[in-house]
Amino acid sequence: MIELINNALVFRFPEVHSEATCTIDFQRTLRIPDDNREYPLPPGLGRFPVEHVDDFADRLPESWRQHGGVMIPMYQSEAMWINFSGDYPCAVKIAAGKINAVSGNAWTNELGNNPQDYVVIPDQPWLDGFNVSEGHIRQFVAMPLGEGYTAEEQITGEAQHGGLQIIVYPMKPEAYEQYRSRKQMVVEDLCCYSLSMDMDMGLAPGGLMKQKIYEDEYGIDSWDQEHGSRCFVHIANSAVYEAIVGRRPPHEPPTAEKYTAAGLPWFDYYAETKALEGSSILGGLTSLAAKVIEKTGKPLHDNAPVDPKLVKQIHSKNTVREGEF
Amino acid sequence: MRLVKEFGTTWYNHGVASTESVYYTVHMLFGEYVRKKREALKATDRRFSVRQVAQRIGVEPAYLSKIERGDVAPPSEAKIRALANELGEDPDVLLALAGKVSSDLLEIIRKRPQLFAELIRELKTLPDHAILRVVREVRDGDW
Repeated sequence: MIELINNALVFRFPEVHSEATCTIDFQRTLRIPDDNREYPLPPGLGRFPVEHVDDFADRLPESWRQHGGVMIPMYQSEAMWINFSGDYPCAVKIAAGKINAVSGNAWTNELGNNPQDYVVIPDQPWLDGFNVSEGHIRQFVAMPLGEGYTAEEQITGEAQHGGLQIIVYPMKPEAYEQYRSRKQMVVEDLCCYSLSMDMDMGLAPGGLMKQKIYEDEYGIDSWDQEHGSRCFVHIANSAVYEAIVGRRPPHEPPTAEKYTAAGLPWFDYYAETKALEGSSILGGLTSLAAKVIEKTGKPLHDNAPVDPKLVKQIHSKNTVREGEF
Repeated sequence: MRLVKEFGTTWYNHGVASTESVYYTVHMLFGEYVRKKREALKATDRRFSVRQVAQRIGVEPAYLSKIERGDVAPPSEAKIRALANELGEDPDVLLALAGKVSSDLLEIIRKRPQLFAELIRELKTLPDHAILRVVREVRDGDW
């Protein structure tokens, strides 16, 4: 079952284990420059607001009502990262426009291990984008669906789904008991906007960021695929979000240039777990900046390179990467 | 929607016989409860004397004493809330002990009386040892 609490999706599996809970929220962040340089992790600037689709059903397109789930507002070219929390191990599949963000393959509910198409929490504290090569992702950046920028459109040639799709599977109780005893040993050692598609956003591949997607250390049989919970996260264009829900979306985040000039921190995360290889499908995507030039002949706005001077090292015991601006 | 059990709180059924004895039981229960809580706090902090607590919630000390003895009916909702705040208690628990229902809950029921009456009666048949929390699930659709 999934609850929406304080703008976070709380997945609980009481039928599997009383502790089987994981929380997923969507963090506002700055868009890193899309210039093929490798950037560290940008900060979290607070959660995106999340609403039940059913609460605004009369003002939303039929397809959104059909999908169910929730919605978040994003400005065009705004970036986001997905934040995972919880101590009970879970396998999480994430797709953007029903394109798997780890493998680049089309959506399926089941977990795949050849190649691995999911992340494992708590080992994986967050996911900032598409897995384009080993140790690198391309940032999730919102773009209107139907203009050819999103990963979904680049791979399938169609603008059909948009948004984000998530399914979570908890670890099987017997595997969890083994995990817990192993962990213990380690610790001891240490308005009706016309119901058109204009409001619908998808995620395009933005700038290149240093981030590993970690290999599943427990094996695919550790996950209880009989008890998954899934959610469709629609992305509403911020310009129409206010008209739908009657509340303003958060203000636009600062540009990477302004944020860096203000002397605010970027982050670098270190963990010893082995990283997955990048997806050749996702690696072949055209990044947003290149696509904008290809389509308009003009450069992407606010895309000046930056040189982050203040990069805070973080590790698995301290995964706070909040910024204020 | 789904009902989820949350353990830890027990609701007692006092099984009283007449209207008069109901009132008496409510006065006594509420008064005794308040007195015990206040005196426990007073043991480590003298600011929890009858006089000082009465002053802070805006009643006469003699009136608070009578309330604690069960000689008079529990005070108004506002005073019960002030008392709960003073003693660090949950206002809904104190209101329930006083035989009252919080005005915001009454308002919720008044708006959809049939729905909530039905819901509460449904919950009545569920086990006593658990509080049941109604949880709204994120609906999954067809995609």
